[in-house]
Amino acid sequence: MSKKIRNQIARKPSDYIFDACIYIFFGLFTLLCVFPFYYLFINTISDNDKVVSGLVNFYPIGFHINNYIALKDVADLGSSVIVTVARTIIGTALMVIVSAWAGYLVTKQKMWRRSLWYRALVITMYFNAGLIPWYMNMLMLGLTDNFLAYILPGMIAPYNIILVKTYIESIPASLEESAVIDGANTPTVFRKIILPLSVPILATIAIFGAVGNWNSFQDSLLLMSNRPDMYTLQHRLYVYLNQSSNLSALVSGSGGLSTQAAQNMLSSKVIKYTVSMVTIIPILLVYPFMQRYFVKGIMLGAVKG
Amino acid sequence: MQATAFPTKKAAVQKPNHLLRLNRLLILFLGLMVFLPQFNPGRISMKINENASLFTTAISYDTLTNTMGRPLRMGWVLPEHFHLLMGGAAVILVGVLLCAVGGCMSLGNNRMKRCAMLLPLAGSVAMAGGLVMINHVYNIFINLEKADKIEPNFPNGIYVYAVVTALLFITALIVWLRLPRQVEEKMEMEEKYRLFLMFLPVLLLAFVFCYLPIYGWRFAFFDYKIGDALTAENFVGMKWFTYLFENAATRNDLLRVLRNTLIMSGLGIATSWFPIAFAVLLAEVRSTKFQRLVQTLTTIPNFISWVLVYAIAFAIFSTDGFINSFLRNVMNIAGANTDYLANADGTWIKMLAWGTWKGLGWSAIVYIAGIAGIDQQLYEAAKVDGANRYQCIWHITIPGLVPTYCVMLLMSIAGILSNGMDQYLVFENALNKDVIEVLDLYVYNIGIKQGLIPISTVVGVFKSVIGVTLLFGANGISKAIRGESII
Repeated sequence: MSKKIRNQIARKPSDYIFDACIYIFFGLFTLLCVFPFYYLFINTISDNDKVVSGLVNFYPIGFHINNYIALKDVADLGSSVIVTVARTIIGTALMVIVSAWAGYLVTKQKMWRRSLWYRALVITMYFNAGLIPWYMNMLMLGLTDNFLAYILPGMIAPYNIILVKTYIESIPASLEESAVIDGANTPTVFRKIILPLSVPILATIAIFGAVGNWNSFQDSLLLMSNRPDMYTLQHRLYVYLNQSSNLSALVSGSGGLSTQAAQNMLSSKVIKYTVSMVTIIPILLVYPFMQRYFVKGIMLGAVKG
Repeated sequence: MQATAFPTKKAAVQKPNHLLRLNRLLILFLGLMVFLPQFNPGRISMKINENASLFTTAISYDTLTNTMGRPLRMGWVLPEHFHLLMGGAAVILVGVLLCAVGGCMSLGNNRMKRCAMLLPLAGSVAMAGGLVMINHVYNIFINLEKADKIEPNFPNGIYVYAVVTALLFITALIVWLRLPRQVEEKMEMEEKYRLFLMFLPVLLLAFVFCYLPIYGWRFAFFDYKIGDALTAENFVGMKWFTYLFENAATRNDLLRVLRNTLIMSGLGIATSWFPIAFAVLLAEVRSTKFQRLVQTLTTIPNFISWVLVYAIAFAIFSTDGFINSFLRNVMNIAGANTDYLANADGTWIKMLAWGTWKGLGWSAIVYIAGIAGIDQQLYEAAKVDGANRYQCIWHITIPGLVPTYCVMLLMSIAGILSNGMDQYLVFENALNKDVIEVLDLYVYNIGIKQGLIPISTVVGVFKSVIGVTLLFGANGISKAIRGESII
């Protein structure tokens, strides 16, 4: 209901109570969604002694970034960061290219058996053989303990293909036709006309794909059992969180840290918080960009076919 | 009359060429076989890794020999033998590649077809050469001094490949001979096939990662452990399917897991109106700034992984977490050190709460967009008729959202058995295992952790079949009631 219309309806006292309730509810729920992130953050930058005794609850006490600096000495963390960044960049780029190409081609009515192939792609969204057959398939293909396992399966994203297809269908066909008359072949049309025009939708799937890659946990858990150096960041964090023994043993030597900083780093609780924070921060950084595409991404998906 | 009126058109319609089709089918089969370890012609010793396909044999020395460490160290076999084997496999691969290119080109006009058929001819010759090389290595193996230690084995794959190679050669040759000599000036291909070939790589990817896993269902019929080969001896038929229901322990496990799954999904469905309420109430907020702020901040949790949700749960609810430090240091309750995560109390409700915390803001977006799409004239008309705001919500806003809600509801009913495993895996511990283990997690626990591949495959097969049935059921209901398909 638009503001104008709403303001024309007379307000009774009970309306004010109702409004107040809504504000309180949303205020509390929003706080609930934000506070944990804030709590984690203040505990990573506060004085570690205070953190360990549980005094840092609502505001930071003292300030230092030694915890973040000390992370470079946490065993295995570096390789996880590199692997995760690499898969996010490579995996997302390839996924976008394949989705764009496939989404463009399935708009071509002339393709031999087009609807059959398109349906075959769409069905994979709703049907899968199951976790174990999938795992055995990856084993058969030699994609266990192999970085390619992060990249290749992710290249096919049927939902994104549908999004791109729907978007391309909204581009006026005359643009393409005129290029074809000028002698452009399909790849040229794709590169010169379709790609530049579908940047908005490609940005949408790229950003969602990147977050998905960054958050990936299951494939690492299943496929990298013999290669701890290829764990994704989420998997690494999962391992840390479940480590009941003293995590500070992971910090190998003081390596360049002042003694005080090294002592500061002793608590495993602080390490867990700091690693969590490092894993969250990139998502919070791209979040403002994602927001612009939320509704577009969701609503386009509703128009399938 | 018609036929004589358009003689040219009739000539243009080609008879279907069955031999050419057979040829293409053979090439397709060949392309599949390259990746299946069962047909690996390179497994000329029982000691060679049985998960190695022809493709792996050709490209990865490490995979090929990782089970051959001892024979290589002792000098029973030499690395040269394996290099020769890899060479043979690589030659076969090149042959397959030539055939594949030929198969694709055979979709073109006659001139292109003539050219295309030469490729399978060359390819089958290459493959024959590769097979001879592998056979040569096999002969070396059986004549080795320590032949019994490396168990030479004449793989069935060699026969299969030999037959396919011969058939390919013959069909390609006949097709080539039968093609008309007078052909077109230029090689050309109809656009429909050109488009198809451009799309083919995408299809192949989808096939390998989405359809090929179905081939993994075969493990349900074998007594299999990781590392075994599938042979006639360990074929057990439907044993695991009946075992699942006859064995009391697994039956009880399954019932317990199903109970958890249905309760978690049921709670999810019972609360599936939360996002609507969220969206409707948010639309009632007068300040647009506040609206936007709430929407922005409540959507964040949707984009962090379940591991991070657990990290947050850990920070808030563990022994040293926020709740306990708050109670200890602010409320001065000395004994406050309960670990809220390490117990089984109210696990189902807790899981629902985490799911809601993570997903509510995000799920509401689709309804917020729906509210924005409702025709404003309806509200104006209602106002003229004297409706108050609650009546507007009840009679205009909510009916406007019901169609979307129906789709969401049907989808969640169709997915009732798939809760995903991440959430339950990260929150699982020894104390709450009995109540938190859902079907997906159960499959992971028995399949990957305990290595019971056949049983977990059977569970997966049931789950897939039921899931598809439910989905089509839901789709049927949607079609019957709304005249619209949801998939």
